[in-house]
Amino acid sequence: MIEKYNILSPDFERDAPREMTLLSIISQSFFQPFSLEDNLLVILTALTSGSGVGFNRAMLFLKQGDRLRGEMWLGPRSAEEAGFIWEVLSTPGIGYIEIVEHNRALVSKNEDTLSRRLKGLVFAADEETALIPAYAACRKEILLVREAAHEPLVDKRFLDVIQVDEFLCIPLLARDEVLGEIVLDNAITRTPITPADIKLAGLCGLIAGNYIYSATLHRKLLDMEKMAAMGEMAMFVTHQLRNPIVAIGGFTDQLLQPDVSEDKQRRNLIIIRDEIRRLEDIIYQMGHFLKVSLKEPVYFDPGPALTAVFDSPEIQTKAQGYILKIKLEACLPEVLCDPTSFGEVVRNLLDNAFDATPAGGVITVRGYRKNSGRFILSVRDTGRGMSNPDKEQLFRPFFTTKEKGMGLGLPFIKRVMDTCGGKIEVQSRAGKGSLFKLIFLCRERGLTT
Amino acid sequence: MKKKILLVEDERALCLLYEEELSREGYAVTAVTDAEAALAELERTAFDLIITDIRMPGRNGIELITEIMGLRKDIPIIINSAYQSYKEDFMTWAADAYVVKSASLDELKAQIRQLLGD
Repeated sequence: MIEKYNILSPDFERDAPREMTLLSIISQSFFQPFSLEDNLLVILTALTSGSGVGFNRAMLFLKQGDRLRGEMWLGPRSAEEAGFIWEVLSTPGIGYIEIVEHNRALVSKNEDTLSRRLKGLVFAADEETALIPAYAACRKEILLVREAAHEPLVDKRFLDVIQVDEFLCIPLLARDEVLGEIVLDNAITRTPITPADIKLAGLCGLIAGNYIYSATLHRKLLDMEKMAAMGEMAMFVTHQLRNPIVAIGGFTDQLLQPDVSEDKQRRNLIIIRDEIRRLEDIIYQMGHFLKVSLKEPVYFDPGPALTAVFDSPEIQTKAQGYILKIKLEACLPEVLCDPTSFGEVVRNLLDNAFDATPAGGVITVRGYRKNSGRFILSVRDTGRGMSNPDKEQLFRPFFTTKEKGMGLGLPFIKRVMDTCGGKIEVQSRAGKGSLFKLIFLCRERGLTT
Repeated sequence: MKKKILLVEDERALCLLYEEELSREGYAVTAVTDAEAALAELERTAFDLIITDIRMPGRNGIELITEIMGLRKDIPIIINSAYQSYKEDFMTWAADAYVVKSASLDELKAQIRQLLGD
């Protein structure tokens, strides 16, 4: 017998051991399409939520050069606010996504007070002169500070801001490099910080450090990819523009020669007109690809967007001469995507399917749930399919197997799917056809955060 | 006898233009749109010169040049590409001339005349 479990469990048990809850909140958040800032917020959330470690407040510093700069401060400002927040967070059925949403609002609300006061703070982080908090980061040591007011190593400016006697400094490390620091305290409840709290918070520090490290590397990699793509694009555009220009120039020269027959004049003018249209099309497509800025993904009902694509005159015209089968689940869940891009993504995939398939072929669109939390939209065609080398290049901008294509459709789709935490998968066999699967995060209809 | 030129170019409008313009210069032009067709033509006909594009569907112009070198036919080859950058690819050095596509065909015509000794 085999039992299956979902890797991501959207809610956590309130009576689970706090270490489990904490690790579950943090590790699950890395699967979400959150930004670096949001994921750092998740770590602060885990450190302060009643069901996590349960510190009252957590502040985050990031290292920039030889300075430690205050970034975010999460926590209630008063005992009343604390009571309210903790009540909300312990409501049954509340999951980590809701908590992050809640804390995001809290951090932005706190801009006036906690976070803003922290954001102005910069501490020198060189080993010789650093005072606490930067001292902990420089020494790569976890420090528990008690009776802070009497401790000469504590920076007085910092004490003015934090205004507690006891706090814990956790350096954020990755590969022996200091990336920042988290400072935790129990300013509201005044509960002493225990050795168990310190151990768990230290573990969170390691995870956070490695997360910041990999997220920063990922950003650098994306920048490099972008630069490489720019170079490739410049080369491609030169080629794409030069061919029509050569044709326009050459056929115009012919028109300027003496005694050109009327037929030839007309033929040349038609070629010139067509090439100019092609130039226009290239410029439009390039502009569209470069300009399309993706919006934040949101959960929405994909039904109307799908109907709009299937019923559009463009798709209806293309579908003539093909067998187009559409099989969607009766009650579609809400998918996470930018709604405007969603329609374009589906249209692009359908376009590709029609272009790859000879008339009379079958194109099947399916929409179904798989493993709760995922919605799959697939487009299968019975067209020419692809060889393995082609498959590898599929998502590179400007790669195309079409006679008249820019090779920008699939890179666009991939960009959209990456932005919304989704995925695109391809199966294809030369001569048999292709299957493209879009995998979206989804949730049941009517849930609100 | 007219000198025979094999033109390998996937853009149909350019094929037509080059065919007409080079015929006016007194050459017999055979135009094909990919490397496979070019190799088939080379088996059939003894050409005096080959003009080839680089980026084409299927095998590209550089692969075509490599094949032709293997045939040891010793026919002069002109690369005619929209890309300047391929000049840095050492395989393109095997060609006798490299002419970047231009709205004026003067440079291409001059290279043809030079290579054919006209």
